[in-house]
Amino acid sequence: MNVSARAEGGMIGRPTPRIDGRLKVTGAARYPSDVILEDTAYAFLVMSTIARGRIKEFDLTEAQAVDGVLDILTYENTKGKVRKSRYFMRGGYAASSVVPLESPKIWHDGQIVAMVVAETYEAAREAAYKVRVESSAREAAPGFDERRPQPRQTPHIFAGSEPQVGDAETAFQDSDVQIDAYYTTPTQHHNAIELYTTTCVWSGDQLTVHEPSQYVHGLKNGLAKQLGIKPEKVRAVSPFIGGAFGAKAALTSRTALVAIAAKRLNRPVKLVATRQQGFTVSTYRAETQHHIKLGADRSGRLMSLSHEGWEVSSRSDDYKVAGTETTALLYACPNVFTRVNIVHADRSTPGFMRSPAEVPYVFALESAMDELAAALSMDPVELRRINDTRVSPIDQKPFSSRSLRTCYDRAAEAFGWSKRNPVPGSMQDGEWLVGWGCATACYPTNVAPAEARVTLAPNGTARVQTAGHDLGTGAYTAIALTAAEFLGVSLESINVELGDSTLPPAPVAGGSNATASICNAVAQACEDIRDRLARAAVQSGGALRGADATSIRLSRGALVSADGRSEELKESLSRLGFGPIEGFSKYVPEVASLPIRIMGHTLLSRGLPVMTIGTSAGDHVQYAFGAEFVEVRVHERTREIRVPRLVGAFAAGRIVSPTTARSQLLGALIWGVASALHEETEIDERVTRYVNKDLADYMIPVNADIRDVEVILVPEEDHKVNALGIKGLGELGNVGTNAAIANAVYHATGRRIRDLPIRIEDLL
Amino acid sequence: MDTYSPLKTPSLSQRNGSMTAVNLVLSVNGRDYRLTLDARVTLLDALREQLSLTGTKKGCDQGQCGACTVHVDGRRILSCLTLAASVEGKAITTIEGLADEGGLHPMQQAFMDHDAFQCGYCTPGQIMSAVACVTEGLAETDDDIREYMSGNLCRCAAYPNIVAAIKQARIDMQRGRS
Ligand code: FES
Ligand code: FES
Repeated sequence: MNVSARAEGGMIGRPTPRIDGRLKVTGAARYPSDVILEDTAYAFLVMSTIARGRIKEFDLTEAQAVDGVLDILTYENTKGKVRKSRYFMRGGYAASSVVPLESPKIWHDGQIVAMVVAETYEAAREAAYKVRVESSAREAAPGFDERRPQPRQTPHIFAGSEPQVGDAETAFQDSDVQIDAYYTTPTQHHNAIELYTTTCVWSGDQLTVHEPSQYVHGLKNGLAKQLGIKPEKVRAVSPFIGGAFGAKAALTSRTALVAIAAKRLNRPVKLVATRQQGFTVSTYRAETQHHIKLGADRSGRLMSLSHEGWEVSSRSDDYKVAGTETTALLYACPNVFTRVNIVHADRSTPGFMRSPAEVPYVFALESAMDELAAALSMDPVELRRINDTRVSPIDQKPFSSRSLRTCYDRAAEAFGWSKRNPVPGSMQDGEWLVGWGCATACYPTNVAPAEARVTLAPNGTARVQTAGHDLGTGAYTAIALTAAEFLGVSLESINVELGDSTLPPAPVAGGSNATASICNAVAQACEDIRDRLARAAVQSGGALRGADATSIRLSRGALVSADGRSEELKESLSRLGFGPIEGFSKYVPEVASLPIRIMGHTLLSRGLPVMTIGTSAGDHVQYAFGAEFVEVRVHERTREIRVPRLVGAFAAGRIVSPTTARSQLLGALIWGVASALHEETEIDERVTRYVNKDLADYMIPVNADIRDVEVILVPEEDHKVNALGIKGLGELGNVGTNAAIANAVYHATGRRIRDLPIRIEDLL
Repeated sequence: MDTYSPLKTPSLSQRNGSMTAVNLVLSVNGRDYRLTLDARVTLLDALREQLSLTGTKKGCDQGQCGACTVHVDGRRILSCLTLAASVEGKAITTIEGLADEGGLHPMQQAFMDHDAFQCGYCTPGQIMSAVACVTEGLAETDDDIREYMSGNLCRCAAYPNIVAAIKQARIDMQRGRS
């Protein structure tokens, strides 16, 4: 099937208000947290207050005596009820391999140790506060022992994440100009505005779970596994998600407990984890450390790159993001060495957070590149230009497309970069020290198998069904635009259903794969419809008799042949029976490896992670690129840091929904500001406990922190990434932005800050 | 899964807890609702869990995010920091009651026009705050809008579009009034 042939209508790429917008501005959109069921009992969590040790004893007397208390789950009455589901990076579903309420063992502060269920939320909360837990604590490791990296502690488990070529050390020693520096990034939490809530309701042996999720098929299958029931007995529903950013992908330990409580009480149970509890109910971005060595000749050409990373993981799991896979192929360089180390601590298991690998690793590399430019007295844009490459320096595989230079040109021009005085501290404006900085953004183009069902009715309306997710990404709109284009009907006549595990399986909304994967599946399902209608039409005695079936397009409620003949859709449909026609597709990425071709859809239907990532796309590598420019202002005396201006130019193949794509990139650039200046989860190292566990103390940008943000969408055609030429961009815009800001701070002040976030005190 | 064994129920004399029931009438979006509630129930939970008015969102439950913003007697308040029992007899307006049935308030329209949201979870709170900002005369300049809207966090970071939307709605609202 050839879906790349662009159908008439030009719907793909058309700016349009998002189709679910009205539901969202009127409060009518029902998020999973908004599900209100009759006779609901309310749950409240009790969390451990030690980071490592064992529970010795519960005293539930006071808690049980609270009016309205129905049940209190602890390991004593729940152990063995939740079966082990493997950790998701080991081929399972769970965010951690620690089984909820399995034993008295405490793995981290803020671990769920009990769950109280009561008639009302207020009673559950009161009783939870009255649960007494006596435990014995052992000394806990909070993270890295010191500010400087430690020796390698754990060998890596994933092949291919430590790319190397040539002899980086010798080449470094021989280089004319050398940069040798350490960088760190902090712990961060997603803090989506919708809390981690779960409502479970049983009807006989059938369980429905309402939980904000970026992977309903994973949630369904993982929960079934944990409960020891068949997957078809579980339905996961999440038509809207109040932000996710990676935190709502893997199965957390709360869900099974709510399901068990609902079963025991035989009534719906709703859990609303508090904002504070959310810091350990789900995952987080772990802190990282980096050692970068760059060697270049006098003309600025890189001769040697070495990037060693250290990441924190939990005691139970070996999570890591290993961003060297990306930093190793960002620029041309004959000698590359990379290594990634895990340091285990008494913390919960980290997990994906928007651009998991790229945010920390590209920060380190793009900061070092700016240092190199300064050491060479070279314009930082020029340095990127000199070291641009068409192929991966590791294995010489070509990039399917790479518009990095165009992005730099467009963004630099819009920003007015040519007016920059390169001398640090030279661009003062009154009391403000002005700094301009830039950095490269990049993100792998990942594509996954996906299924979609499209139903076209005689009146020209259509329904698109797939278990994808709209996290605010604009998925509803992008999918509707795709269907409208390929069915030749208006956007208003498309109805999209997402976020329900009873729909055809779609991949996790992660790794920025969703638009590419799902829109290709939808296009194929539409093509299936077109193909069947066309074939019947040319064989009929109707207006299209004898026409070339492959040339027939759907357009404005009719079938139209290349020679200008046409037939009403109603008529074509009636030929295939009464009522609507259904198209179905099991999309397999064009770039998928043989195992994914064979097993992809089986894994997908089991809710397991299956994706072709940008570095394993057959004979090429596929990435989206961007260039980001920022203006930073540092107050001369108070050292207050402001970011009045950001310009980002991005090339991500074909843009399906420009309105929502732009918003994604805009939000992502602001995430970059947050990453550079605001966000850090702080740990009390004496007790291995987060201290700023709320939205007052965990800094994220507010409206007054942001001024002008400009997003430029650079046109790019790429026929290799997938049939529709789509590259994901949801995680592109917040890569490198933190480095651009650090580089601008250097330009403003002459101070090179290598540890994020950059705060006033760093510039005193 | 084996069968559920209920808790040993303490005798009545041992029962405790801080529950005090209150009877009250809440006037929401022009309708009166008679309720019997635990005195500790917040306006936010009363709206969401009792009245199924789930347009008002819970993002923190402690006055830090603004997702729960509603109007009480025309002024914006954080419903998570307001006990339901304390607003009896006052006119409460939520996102569901902002426009006439089936219509859109100019602010809602402007948020759609400018794509001033992504996930949409902060949006009802943003819109309720924005309407109040305009009527309070605190949305005259871009800087004012940014400042007075800074109590409403948007993790998707739609801020520039929110500012653009409020500017459009301010004009529409002022026109509508004159
Ligand atoms: S829920 Fe009320 S301010 Fe966050
Ligand atoms: S739109 Fe997602 S938090 Fe504002």
